[in-house]
Amino acid sequence: MRMDNKRKINESLIAFHGVSKTFDKPGEGRYEVVRDLYLNVQENEFLVLFGPGQCGKSTILNMIAGFEAPSGGELLCQGRPVEGPGPERGMVFQNTALFPWLTVMGNVEYGPKVRGVKKEERRKQAQHYIDLVGLQGFENSYPVKLSGGMQQRVGIARAYCSEPLVMLLDEPFGHLDAQTRYLMQDELTRIWQVEKRTVIFVTNNIEEAVYLADRILVLRNCPTGVKAEYQITLPRPRNYTDPEFLRLRREIDAVVDHTL
Amino acid sequence: MNGTKRRVAYGMLGIFIFLCIWHAAATLTNLGRIMPDPVTVFVRFFMAFIEPIGTKTMLFHILTSLRRMLIPYTLGGLAGVFMGVLMGWYRICDAAFMPYIQMLRPIPPIAWIPLSIVWFGFAEGSKYFLIFLACFFTIALTTCDGVHSVDETLVRAARMLGARDRQLFTTIVLPTTVPYIFSGLQVALGSAWATIVAAEMIRSSEGVGWLIVSGQDVGNMTQIMVGIVAIALTGLLITSMMRGVEARLCAWTIRGK
Ligand SMILES: Nc1ncnc2c1ncn2[C@@H]1O[C@H](COP(=O)(O)OP(=O)(O)OP(=O)(O)O)[C@@H](O)[C@H]1O
Ligand SMILES: [Mg+2]
Repeated sequence: MRMDNKRKINESLIAFHGVSKTFDKPGEGRYEVVRDLYLNVQENEFLVLFGPGQCGKSTILNMIAGFEAPSGGELLCQGRPVEGPGPERGMVFQNTALFPWLTVMGNVEYGPKVRGVKKEERRKQAQHYIDLVGLQGFENSYPVKLSGGMQQRVGIARAYCSEPLVMLLDEPFGHLDAQTRYLMQDELTRIWQVEKRTVIFVTNNIEEAVYLADRILVLRNCPTGVKAEYQITLPRPRNYTDPEFLRLRREIDAVVDHTL
Repeated sequence: MNGTKRRVAYGMLGIFIFLCIWHAAATLTNLGRIMPDPVTVFVRFFMAFIEPIGTKTMLFHILTSLRRMLIPYTLGGLAGVFMGVLMGWYRICDAAFMPYIQMLRPIPPIAWIPLSIVWFGFAEGSKYFLIFLACFFTIALTTCDGVHSVDETLVRAARMLGARDRQLFTTIVLPTTVPYIFSGLQVALGSAWATIVAAEMIRSSEGVGWLIVSGQDVGNMTQIMVGIVAIALTGLLITSMMRGVEARLCAWTIRGK
């Protein structure tokens, strides 16, 4: 049993092994956000972390990204402990976090540029991802000129351009209007099918979760951990009104903690 | 585009009306005794490009004053940016220097004249010192504000994409700070140029400030007005040039507005 567990951890791309995270909140003392989290992410899977607001979803992603260190337990990427941020773990931020003084091209090629890739090569690379997310023609636009959906496309292209092992998306469509949100979900599915990557996608929207995921982990309220797990085997492209889709949606919704 | 043209047109109209009132007041009323009319002033101003006031022509006066301003302005700008970055980046520098800056900044340049003469003599040194003070504090403070305004998530994004400390500084901290530096430079350019009169009150024999000071000595009202016009027009010219540079370098902030 132990051996089994160990091997599973080594084989998975990202592994949380009893991870906890505690913040020292000024004036409130210690605040436990994540408790005893076990979680394995397999290569090329589309994993959705689904949980209520303020439950610690961003904290989990921030630990994988290396922005925050776990307070306890072990967090491994490809079998090695995560130490600080790196281009193999690409994040798409909740608030886009695009560099406003750089054009779309400047943003997308930023990663290769700081890592010393030659201009010609990184331009080609960046152009490839700009085309992939459907932003050809906007290379020289500044982010402020783009709509919310387009800004998030830049964010996706920027993260993709570093050819990460795993893409971390933190409620990337949370600020978009419903119409754009549906569109972006389709786009993300398409992009993911063209350029297979491991994706960890955070959302608090059940419909979005079922629409996108290979596997959904339902998180509980603070201090958070995995409450339930669902494999979604519906073929893509999925249909929001498909009876099986609706049944899954209802089933998952039933286990979610709706208490405040 | 149409809006800008209209703005300029209204501006011109405003100036024209103002000049008309001034002219009428100076020629038709008693005010003429204490105030030369604008035609006399502007004729004297433009004549001064050929016919010297004192021993020098107008262009020489303006260029002398510009040089007197630009050298300490550049030094004050560099030192201010350096100080601002230090204070913005290192908490300890902020704690150590901020009180001095807050204390010294409100002191008007004129108050420093006696000390600056003792320290730097009557020659150019003391003039440079006054103008340096007029820009240093402003630029240091705005630069510091700029560094403080760096967005933590942008720093995270850059780190994630592989930026090292030095690159973080040049690609995130500097671009965030540049618009702040520019607004500081813009304000400081105004105060540096305004301080030129005070600086040239310390013995000088040329410059736009000197025009005013010596005009007062000999009771020549027209020369005083010519000095004021020279300061105003040159000031307008250099601040608009500065805006042009800013518009180029900070395209994203201006487009964002
Ligand atoms: N750096 C920090 N210092 C102190 N407390 C923090 C910090 N980061 C997060 N927290 C706290 O941890 C809890 C979970 O935050 P987190 O942002 O991970 O939740 P979330 O599920 O992503 O929320 P949301 O749905 O709003 O995105 C919150 O109560 C938050 O205040
Ligand atoms: Mg969050």
